[in-house]
Amino acid sequence: MPPFTLGHFSQVCCQLLNHYFGEIVGQVGAYLLRRGHRPLFDIPCATGLSIAEVKKALAVMIQHNLVKFEASERNNNIAEYSIIHHNVYCLLRYPKYLYMIKRIYGTSEEILLEILLNLGQASASNVIFQSANRLKEANDDSEFSDPSALHKSFLKLAQDNFIIRCPKLADNANIQKVPTLEVEEKEKFTVPHLEIGPIAKLLKENATQLGEHGDSEVIWRVNHERFDVELRNVILVNAAARRVDATAGELYHLILKLWRECSNPDSPTTNALSFNVIKDAVRKNEGSSPVLLEHFEQYLRVLYEDTSSLIIKVGDAGGGQFVLNYSTVFENLACATLDSIVLERFGSKALRLFRLTRIQKFMEQDQMQNIAMIPAKEAKMFTYKLLEHNFLQIKELKKGTSNFAPVKSFILFHVDLPQVARTALEASYKGLFNAMVRQMHDLTDNKRLLDKHARLETLLETLRGEGLPEDELAYLSDSMTAAEKSLVSRIHSMNDHLTLGQTQADDTILILESYLKFSSMT
Amino acid sequence: MASPVVIKKEKVDEPRPSPSADAGEGQTEAEIECRMIELMGEFPKGINDKILETDMPNVDKKVKVAILNRLLSQEKVNIFRAAVTKELFWCLKQQPTSKLKGVDSEEKIVMRIIEEAGNKGIWNRDIRTKSSLNQTTLNKILKALEGKKLIKSVSSVSAAKKKVYMLFNLQPDRSVTGGSWYSDNEFESELVDVLNQQCYRILQQKAEGAKQKPLEGPLIVRNASFLSSKEICQIISDLKIVKFNLTVEDIETILDTLVYDGKIEMSSTTDGYSDGQVKTYRTVEKILSSAGIVRIPCGVCPVIKMCGTVGAVQPKNCVYYDQWLD
Repeated sequence: MPPFTLGHFSQVCCQLLNHYFGEIVGQVGAYLLRRGHRPLFDIPCATGLSIAEVKKALAVMIQHNLVKFEASERNNNIAEYSIIHHNVYCLLRYPKYLYMIKRIYGTSEEILLEILLNLGQASASNVIFQSANRLKEANDDSEFSDPSALHKSFLKLAQDNFIIRCPKLADNANIQKVPTLEVEEKEKFTVPHLEIGPIAKLLKENATQLGEHGDSEVIWRVNHERFDVELRNVILVNAAARRVDATAGELYHLILKLWRECSNPDSPTTNALSFNVIKDAVRKNEGSSPVLLEHFEQYLRVLYEDTSSLIIKVGDAGGGQFVLNYSTVFENLACATLDSIVLERFGSKALRLFRLTRIQKFMEQDQMQNIAMIPAKEAKMFTYKLLEHNFLQIKELKKGTSNFAPVKSFILFHVDLPQVARTALEASYKGLFNAMVRQMHDLTDNKRLLDKHARLETLLETLRGEGLPEDELAYLSDSMTAAEKSLVSRIHSMNDHLTLGQTQADDTILILESYLKFSSMT
Repeated sequence: MASPVVIKKEKVDEPRPSPSADAGEGQTEAEIECRMIELMGEFPKGINDKILETDMPNVDKKVKVAILNRLLSQEKVNIFRAAVTKELFWCLKQQPTSKLKGVDSEEKIVMRIIEEAGNKGIWNRDIRTKSSLNQTTLNKILKALEGKKLIKSVSSVSAAKKKVYMLFNLQPDRSVTGGSWYSDNEFESELVDVLNQQCYRILQQKAEGAKQKPLEGPLIVRNASFLSSKEICQIISDLKIVKFNLTVEDIETILDTLVYDGKIEMSSTTDGYSDGQVKTYRTVEKILSSAGIVRIPCGVCPVIKMCGTVGAVQPKNCVYYDQWLD
């Protein structure tokens, strides 16, 4: 099914499903992306797959939180399946999640998260068991690592809301054909009592599967919203560090943590923090640099007086009340993103015109070229180029009324920020999709060569492990010519390049999506 | 016998003074003229009939009219009609009339219109509407006046073909010549660019200097990196990049373009010395170094709209990707 009728975002999702789960899941996913809510028996007809394959594909997707089901409106006995778009898109961000967790906590938490991402949904004991196994393999230890340490790590992750409990069967589920799932608000992050003893015993016995365990009813999954908040915070802290200096970034990171603890994650503005609370936190924090402790008030002042609205002072109680308004700060970030795009595509003069129109709201052509001090011909060319690519919009005001003579009208240029942001977002999805297609194409074209190289490498590794002498190894490795080897290394570097490019495109997408989300909230 | 009686004859006063020559206290025409000119000096806004009546009640109306007409023809006074009361006013002409000697009346009308336009100048067609003269006559007069070096034509920067006329010794207004950035009606973009970069470098140096002392705290560092527009003007003038004098307003227009480039920010503070707001500037870092999307070829691709899964422009064989991946 060619995805030429899907929008760019859906194309990206398709590509991700194909890449990570294979073609069958990809086809089912594409059908659901195209059609929305569909019951089970529609899917095999449309995709040409057998019903068993479709069921398996749906099961895999539900396990990985990519598809949800609910009772159809027309007939309560039939379940309709639909894609959870955000979760499919977040497949792209899994490497970023792992890196963040490693940076914030450490390796054991990273392993826990990796296992959970691989399993999709799992109970706490299962995750701990598998992680312990993985660590054992990696360390080649005959002694096992104590699973209670992993248990503590699991608790830490749950406490900071990085993992969340899945909804379980509601009480009245047995009487309905289509079960409903629900979870209580206060239980979302509470870890049930785990029995470490049996896990430790199974590990000693080198078991590969955890059998029955006490908390198998309590299932966990990754909390994507929390990771989004964390990714946004990284962008904000970088902005603060660029604006002032690295110590200001440190301070801002602390303040973001405090805000997160005291505010509702879904609200567009955080609750107010008072100056004294921030001061206490800075002093208690062991990682604070001495410069920060000494000049703490100055740093705070420089941050809240800055025009980028990273911190807004709303009152004077308790030495000063500070909030973060997500919509203003992401508006500034989105404007910076759009400025950068205009700069790279059209040049600095066009950037000046774009910023001028955006700041002054409505401008005439003559005013623009006078204030921006650009020669008339160039100014006109750039203005119309920006108009052609939809960065500027036109508003026409007619002057005077006349039934006979043509009426003189003012033509005013302005920037409709949500519209331009949406255009840029679509373009970013398209760019991301292109990078993925290119990557897939490069890999499939050279599949034979890469497979041969991979086989050779594994063979060499095992033989080296068994103690084969070096010259025999060199003889074997010559079965691939130097040209082929250089080609393989070139393909690997291209692959890395493209992956990096996709990550950077994802950064832009995050900023623009956040701006559109928060601006529609207020 | 009877002696002859002599009767003295004395002149008898006339019951009414004669209208000619002798009037009131025996004023002559010249004296009346002088008195009128004095009055017009006392009331620079003009005198009207009432004032003349109160001052010289005995002078006959015909005499006053004759004198005033003579003064008008001698170009010493001007006559106006008041807007509201429709009364006639006479007032002294301000300018010396000596230079207009030797020109005829049509030229005088044109000269007056051009004088009124001041230093903005007046367009050929506007002179024609105001004076209601023929086009060819007008052109002849304008050429004659230019030859006599009484007026000059200046080409306006807004419309290159349009010429405005103004008095010879006046400086054209800024709106006509375009100000300091225009020379010969051409916008000097290189000069503007050079000044732009120079201002930015000055502000950068100031910020660098301020960053050298991080131990005093970020507030001191930030405040030390501000420069007011007056100081920047002084520094640039000292560098002697431009031949003419740069005013603070000129520098502020350049600094505004830097603000719109996103490289600096402006804040208004009150200066302890002068009244009112002083504009100060400092460099700022952008909050985002560059958008992630522009680092892949698709972000800056000129043919992105034509790109797709089929067709000539595809990511699989995209030349921009080929270049980027090498």
